Amino acid sequence: MTEPLTRTRGESGRVTGSSRRTRRGWSSLLYLVPAFVFYGTFTIAPWVQSVWLSFWEWDGIGAATWAGFENYIKVATDERLVVALRNGLGFIVFYTVFPVILGLLVAAVIAARPRRGSGFVRTVLFLPQILPLVAVGVVWRYLYAADGPINQVLRAVGLGDVARAWLGDFTWAYPAVGVIGTWVTTGLCMMLLLAGIQKIDPSLYEAARLDRCGPVRQFWHVTVPGVRAEIVVAVTVTLISALASFDIVYVTTGGGPGYQTIVPGVLIYKLVFTSNEVGLACALATVLSAIILVFVAVIGRIGRRGA
Amino acid sequence: MQRRTRLVLAPLAAGALLGLALTACTPGATTTGAGAAPDASTELTTDDITLTLMSTPESGAATEATIAAFETEHPNITIEYSQTNYEDYNQSVNLNLSSDQSPDIVLLNAVANTVKNKLVLPLDDYADLYGWNDFFPANQLNQWRVADNGTTLGDGGALYAAPAGFSLVGTYYNKAIAAELGIDAPTSLTEFEAALKTANAAGALPVQVGNAEGHAAFVVQLLGQGASGADTANAWAFGHAGATFDTEANHDAAQTLADWQTAGYLGDPTTVNGTDLQGAVDNFIGGKGLFLVDGIWDAGKIGEGLGDDAGFLPFPGENITGIGTSVAYAISTQSEHPNEAAAFLDFLRSPEASEQQFAQGFMPDDPTVAVAEEGTLQGDIVAAWAEIAEADGLVAFNNNATATMNDALKAGTQQLIAGQMSVGDFIASIQADWAAAHAG
Repeated sequence: MTEPLTRTRGESGRVTGSSRRTRRGWSSLLYLVPAFVFYGTFTIAPWVQSVWLSFWEWDGIGAATWAGFENYIKVATDERLVVALRNGLGFIVFYTVFPVILGLLVAAVIAARPRRGSGFVRTVLFLPQILPLVAVGVVWRYLYAADGPINQVLRAVGLGDVARAWLGDFTWAYPAVGVIGTWVTTGLCMMLLLAGIQKIDPSLYEAARLDRCGPVRQFWHVTVPGVRAEIVVAVTVTLISALASFDIVYVTTGGGPGYQTIVPGVLIYKLVFTSNEVGLACALATVLSAIILVFVAVIGRIGRRGA
Repeated sequence: MQRRTRLVLAPLAAGALLGLALTACTPGATTTGAGAAPDASTELTTDDITLTLMSTPESGAATEATIAAFETEHPNITIEYSQTNYEDYNQSVNLNLSSDQSPDIVLLNAVANTVKNKLVLPLDDYADLYGWNDFFPANQLNQWRVADNGTTLGDGGALYAAPAGFSLVGTYYNKAIAAELGIDAPTSLTEFEAALKTANAAGALPVQVGNAEGHAAFVVQLLGQGASGADTANAWAFGHAGATFDTEANHDAAQTLADWQTAGYLGDPTTVNGTDLQGAVDNFIGGKGLFLVDGIWDAGKIGEGLGDDAGFLPFPGENITGIGTSVAYAISTQSEHPNEAAAFLDFLRSPEASEQQFAQGFMPDDPTVAVAEEGTLQGDIVAAWAEIAEADGLVAFNNNATATMNDALKAGTQQLIAGQMSVGDFIASIQADWAAAHAG
């Protein structure tokens, strides 16, 4: 959207003389230095270091030995690591797909007919976003427990046969943990999309109504295209939290039962702190960040093509 | 567009270079050799000195009182105590030991890679000077004897830590439920299984198991070593060359657990896998379960909850065995006062220190202070400890056989209980983890 503006400014700059432009460019760069020093020291340098460490076999304390690509071969062949990557990718359904759909629906309903109480609904839905994820995990572990509230409700309504220790069930533990992710990220998606919807020109809805579009068609033809940019942002942010998930899984199941809910984040942590395989952990982390970068790049491209 | 790309790339490249410059060398410090450490001696300095000691709240429960008693005896020595919770402690102990501000005395929960990296001192000179080898039964010190490779434990290795007290895993039982069902305390596996059958038929849960953290592994280990004997079990737990988990005893043990599951002795498998140890203890106190296999670290809670109805037995088997380890302290290689630190380690077996350990629920170094009324839970524990010591039946935790064994046992027993894995695959997965760490 800002493309044309920048281009005009660039062209006028060229007319007035390039030397002044360059000087202005350099001095403006100076303002970036403090932020960049921080970013370089605390983000880029550690990242480069972990990539570097991924080529070593190191226990975290003693001398390391050069491993070449051995750690990467292990990442591609070790069954546990592959399962973790697959589980992380599967979480995209719970962290991204469901929340964006749910968030979009709720936002559309709230925006279409603001009524008393919608502010309350908004606050309640956004609440999970401001809670520390460890606290969220502890609360849900209690909710899912064999004698926890969820099972008590099920028994009370005569569904006692369905009641189970959800996090200990080989079939249900994974979706149970996924639902927590949905619960956490739906509020964020709703807020983002609501802001987008409120930006849409009301005359578009009016025009749609004049064309005899019902609420459903208004939603598809006005709302959804209108919040395209916000959807891209929501998908990007939640996708990263799906692939890099750690806290919720670590607190609720620790990856169990068996390896049903193991995700790369938990495995990286265990590789470093339990089995002292720092090199292998860094290799897995590098692969994970590469996957995330590819996803983000693809989503960005899809988003731009539509704009 | 092009210009903008360059602007973004330049700092990125600079950052990458900066990162490389910071890191472009072999990771890991070459271990700094200990400074000129004084020869081992029982003669202590008369200067005022301060030692630092790091522990965890559970293991260090008695240590603060022990420090006070030690300081009274040695007024010129001050010991500064600090503690961190168990998980954080294990993750940071090696970093602390290798830092510039290493504590003098540290709690050692596992040998892990601490000894391999020469972070703690060998204590054999002190063991000779103070006579620890005569004081402690051999199997109480073997857990902290480490061979030159830094991973194989047991007889013949150098000693790296001194025990302050011991924990023990055995069988709790609910005397009220047992009396109601007419069950006597079982002394053999046959009687034990008969009791499980009786309880199940009467509608009582035979065994309370919480396996969310993998504690069913205790049952497998106790069944296995009860059949094979403590020596075979220890050889594997200690990582001895040629040892294997793939034995008939362990096959039978895992099969028995699976059979108990099928027979309904453990309850619903999902509930078992979804309940953690503390949850299981709470259930047991609430009257759910005739038996509970757990460590004496929960004796206080269970004794308080069940009162006179709480009983404790060594796990029944052909051989009387128990799983146990010591709360043990080691001396940092960087300590400037190893002689004084060793004097404190020696003080841990004194009657004063032993009484403190016993009061906190551990079995003390000095068994003569462990006196409890017969028929009480503590009395049962003291009797079980004596019985196991008599039979030389103390075995180290299988969970500590490798750094990752706890995770392997947790995942394996969860799969076994849920019927997701065959007994053969379970045994193979455990042995594979062991072989990866103890190869050669």
